[in-house]
Amino acid sequence: MDDKDNANPTILNASDLPSRRRESSVKQRDDGGTGLFDNLVPHHIYLRDPFEQPLSASDSDDDSVEDIDEQEIYDLISSISDPEHPLSLGSLAVVNLPDIRILPPPSPLSSISTVVVEITPTITHCSLATVIGLGVRVRLEQALPPRFRIDVRIKKGTHSTDEAVNKQLGDKERVAAALENGTLMGVLRKMLSTCE
Amino acid sequence: MSPPQEEPCTTTIQPLATLSPPSSSRVWQSTPHPTLPIIATACSDRTVRVYSLTSFTLLHSITGGHKRSIRAVSWKPGVTGQSVLATGSFDASVGIWRRAEGGGQEEDYTHRRRGDGDEEEEDDEDDYQFSCILDGHESEIKSLSWSPSGQYLATCSRDKSVWVWEELEDDNFETIAVLQEHEGDVKCVAWHSEEDLLASASYDDTVRLYREDADDWVQVAMIDGHKKTVWWVEFEGSGMPMRDFRAEREGISEEQKGYVELMERSGPRLATASDDCTVRIWRRKPREGAAPSNSGMPSIIRSVAIDEDWYLDAILPQRHERAVYSVSWSRKSGMIVSAGSDGKIVVYKERWKSAVPNGVKAEDGTENPEAMQGVEDSALTEWVVVAEMYSAHDVFEINHVCWAMRSDKGRRSEDEEVIVTTGDDGEVKVWVLEKSS
Repeated sequence: MDDKDNANPTILNASDLPSRRRESSVKQRDDGGTGLFDNLVPHHIYLRDPFEQPLSASDSDDDSVEDIDEQEIYDLISSISDPEHPLSLGSLAVVNLPDIRILPPPSPLSSISTVVVEITPTITHCSLATVIGLGVRVRLEQALPPRFRIDVRIKKGTHSTDEAVNKQLGDKERVAAALENGTLMGVLRKMLSTCE
Repeated sequence: MSPPQEEPCTTTIQPLATLSPPSSSRVWQSTPHPTLPIIATACSDRTVRVYSLTSFTLLHSITGGHKRSIRAVSWKPGVTGQSVLATGSFDASVGIWRRAEGGGQEEDYTHRRRGDGDEEEEDDEDDYQFSCILDGHESEIKSLSWSPSGQYLATCSRDKSVWVWEELEDDNFETIAVLQEHEGDVKCVAWHSEEDLLASASYDDTVRLYREDADDWVQVAMIDGHKKTVWWVEFEGSGMPMRDFRAEREGISEEQKGYVELMERSGPRLATASDDCTVRIWRRKPREGAAPSNSGMPSIIRSVAIDEDWYLDAILPQRHERAVYSVSWSRKSGMIVSAGSDGKIVVYKERWKSAVPNGVKAEDGTENPEAMQGVEDSALTEWVVVAEMYSAHDVFEINHVCWAMRSDKGRRSEDEEVIVTTGDDGEVKVWVLEKSS
């Protein structure tokens, strides 16, 4: 925390951030998807009751469990505050909609989906990349149903020690231990305080 | 997806019980008692829960010792009259706990009352008593393990070190080694089932082996092969070639007999589980009969006679889609069970490769152990998946899996085992293998 790694980060205008809530806005989601049916999907109901199954859903209806999309993931994490700047990760373009992917279960017998979030630290040697990644992981672990596995990575080529950071963020034991660290939890709580 | 030579799963993994009541938060590891039908579970709520494997209910809750999650538990083997439990915590300390056990242990095992709640009237005297604390590690303890003789306790930590403690007398522990070979967190420690040989697995993707040499514990081998963190390491049981499929010596070829002899000289093998989604088996090159002169590689590096060569014996069929956190080797059947982040349980067994025609290699000379070294295709055995279970803990990760002796009233034979899994949902589940034909 001694030096602010990037005192003048690029800040995106709030109206430029990807969203589906401002439907009247001319800005459309820029992830290349069709977006055609997005408005039919309820926003957060599944977050509260992950095990609710549609009563009429047949077994062949594979889409019935894929009810959370990238935009919802983005909405969950873009409002996290940067630990250094009084700005959100969305407005700093640390998290970006095209860098969020949801992978379906690898087998019909599995119900485990994977959320992959690639974060872009504001500059290549940002010492807080791990903390930001941890904040994203913790936010998603708390908000998403447990059938999601969460892989948070540093976007390739954007950070000098991305492999080391990725390894730490992927290690559940280290993450669990970090969450028992009072100092670190204080930082994370502050980062997440701007989420809803 | 499955190679054609694998037999269809004719065995299934069936739920037997969920230990009750479960924890309300993540549980990390469950270790069966060496002689009694009980199992200790390390919980993230800073407690250890001791459950009965007879009634599947909670017998004791050990609380008040650790300031953070308890990550690992290990029972001291070879103790009479009492049970001794070591606990390793994220608070960087190791706790030693004792409980007096009435009567002979064998008697306890077989004549234990089966009614529910018979333990609940016990007073504090019968609880596990805090005995002492072992301080020294700088950060979270990840794993600990007593040596088979009970003489040594090994512990490991995120501080990259492995410590070996010796219990000189009750509650008087001496640090006899601090091994700092790893370049990352040490995730797991395990002892060889016959020798005072210690293995450790690490975040640095390697496994290291240590033994005592002239009063000094030193690294004797380094195993490099996994591409990501090695989460678990466990040795094969003692004398398994006399117990598993290899015990049947009638009707096998001379080549297969030679292979079994080689295996016996190698001793118990090592199984490792990794974040790279694989489970691997490693085998020691036998000390005698290793004639360096006839191989093309003069052993110039090996200046110390104590060094050992461990090489890849097999990679088990890859069925896990995410990190494999734990693997366990049955001491009865030789089967292996693995589990991990994908919530799957997979059971494997080893068998003779049927494709090898008898006597093909007999032409090139009688016994040539070197021929098998490091080359998987030349192995005479293969591992096949016999059963797998998806979503064993619903959608949650499985942190640990092990075999335990079956002790409930449904037990079908003296040797019957159960599989015990420990998950992020706070549950410890007991499973049986059922033949379905």
